[in-house]
Amino acid sequence: MSKAPRKGGYVSQAWLVIVLALLYGGALAGVQTTLGPRIAENKKSETYDVIPHLVEGAARAKTTERTVTGAVDGKPHPVYRAVTGDGTLCGWALPATGLGFADRIDLLIGLCADASTITGIYVLEQKETPGLGNLIGTDEFRGQFAGKRADEPIQVVTAGPVAGNEIRALTGATISCDSVADIVNATVENLREPIRQLGAQEPLEPNDVPRGRGG
Amino acid sequence: MDTAITLIQIALGAALINNFVLHYFVGICPFLGVSRRVDTAFGMGCAVTFVISIAALLSWVFTYFILRPAAPVPTWVWRVCGGDPRTTVDLSVLSYVMYIFVIASSVQFVELYVRKFFPYLYKSFGVFLPLITTNCAILFACLEIMKRLQDPDRLWGLHEALTLAVGGGLGFTIAIVLMAGIREELDMCDVPKPLVGAGIGLITAGILAMAFMGFTGVDKGIENAINLLLR
Amino acid sequence: MALPGPTAAERFFNGILPENPVYRQLLGMCPTLAVTGAVKPAMTMAAATAFVLISANGIISLIRGLLRPHLRILVFTLTIAAFVTIADRALQAYMYQMSKELGPYVPLIIVNCLIISRCEICASKQNLGVALADAVGMSLGFGLALASIATVREILGSGTWFGLPVMPSGWPNWGIMVLPPGAFLTLGLLLAVAEWIGLRRQEKGTET
Repeated sequence: MSKAPRKGGYVSQAWLVIVLALLYGGALAGVQTTLGPRIAENKKSETYDVIPHLVEGAARAKTTERTVTGAVDGKPHPVYRAVTGDGTLCGWALPATGLGFADRIDLLIGLCADASTITGIYVLEQKETPGLGNLIGTDEFRGQFAGKRADEPIQVVTAGPVAGNEIRALTGATISCDSVADIVNATVENLREPIRQLGAQEPLEPNDVPRGRGG
Repeated sequence: MDTAITLIQIALGAALINNFVLHYFVGICPFLGVSRRVDTAFGMGCAVTFVISIAALLSWVFTYFILRPAAPVPTWVWRVCGGDPRTTVDLSVLSYVMYIFVIASSVQFVELYVRKFFPYLYKSFGVFLPLITTNCAILFACLEIMKRLQDPDRLWGLHEALTLAVGGGLGFTIAIVLMAGIREELDMCDVPKPLVGAGIGLITAGILAMAFMGFTGVDKGIENAINLLLR
Repeated sequence: MALPGPTAAERFFNGILPENPVYRQLLGMCPTLAVTGAVKPAMTMAAATAFVLISANGIISLIRGLLRPHLRILVFTLTIAAFVTIADRALQAYMYQMSKELGPYVPLIIVNCLIISRCEICASKQNLGVALADAVGMSLGFGLALASIATVREILGSGTWFGLPVMPSGWPNWGIMVLPPGAFLTLGLLLAVAEWIGLRRQEKGTET
């Protein structure tokens, strides 16, 4: 590193630093080998644990990751293919992200097997205002998304009864709610068609090997 | 166009909306310690902005090529040494040690360079340079950049990393200069005895932080406005 | 070393109140303000800092005879960074949600002036026993300070303490207390209280 010996005299001065650096390097390597797999598993679980709550009947162990190309932006996106215990495709989970009121909001959106209906959403990460915007994570708000049609955009209403593809905004958090609806609409529009095609292509794959990421 | 919007959002986010000092609380020590006079505060702000940009540049290069999961250099070395090509190499456990060395050496380098080539600048903010090594704002910028390089689906480019760094440095300068201006006035006020010094400084910072909360949502508004204009 | 320096017991008790790192020395302000929105993250942070401080103080004290004056800061930083990485990985492995909540503030322990100042003032000059007593005392002092700020902020801001509801059910949560301004205001006022108690003590001392 910055203290590599350039002259003979430096070695005698810096030997302690070098020995310590080697010792710590060894210690860190040990920590990484023991804890690394566990950390990778934690990161994976964060998404995989949610999927059975979003897509009914999904078996966590059989869920696998796929990559699809967005119909709107043409970029690759990861999606999760949810399968029931006996191997039947039962739905999809799409990670989605976008700007909220305070910071980025990360969502997971559940779609049914033929990508025609939204089965639910889950807020993975958000930093909206405590007491107002952060209520987007409550069951009361996100439950409204379940059963909405995927082929037309979701509208947010602030007053009056909700009908069809409308959801009601939270009082005092209209921008956060609009943001969530925007993120859901954009992601569903982008990925609905590619997912439908992917679902038609590969109906059953008994030997599916889950692909881990970031290990 | 998307890139431009993203860059504006990153810069605004770091400088105003999620101000490094008033929202993330990094760089509090100089914020409370140095901000007695506006001109010294401005000098400190410039020095931090300068070092933060250089540290961000270096840490982006290190992280992108060496430290992130499945980075090109270690993967290549692994292949050449005959390692199993299916396994990915992840050196991110070394990140923190690397960053602190990058920061310490870039402070040294900047100090030497500025003293040699810009003696005038050195006179105005050179004294702050050694202090900056332990300024958390710089390590914080490196860590933010690291976070954005962990996820292979949304990798940050160098331009985004540099925008964050310059925006964050500007945000630090804005906060520390504002604070120094208020403090110059506070010196003439009759502050209750137990509050003199850090106490009143922190309460002032709290009021400043409340004011800065007013910027929340501006980035979203700009995105919407640009999208409306383009439509 | 002409002066023997304070003894282990003095170091230990000094760290808790008379030289409290937050209220007296104004060290480590960044985590003090950032993670005290609730008691649980604050205590996790205090534990992580204590681990790094005790380990670093111990190692530095053991190798103090070998330190070269101009390389000592480098050795301190290297030691601290290594232990912070270990603490960070352990948090990610065993308390994943908490490590996400603390975010960048765990690695930022590296630049917490408290640790480097204890290495410099105590560990690099005194033997292992004193250095460890000093580290434990300082960690307790830091933990107490974090706990006091977090208690005020969590009770007023969320109506809970350590996640348990303590306020009457009609309590309107003061959202501002868990947001950044609340951190500054709480610490400012608590500092004033600490200062006020100190001033009262001084006055009493001069009267008698």
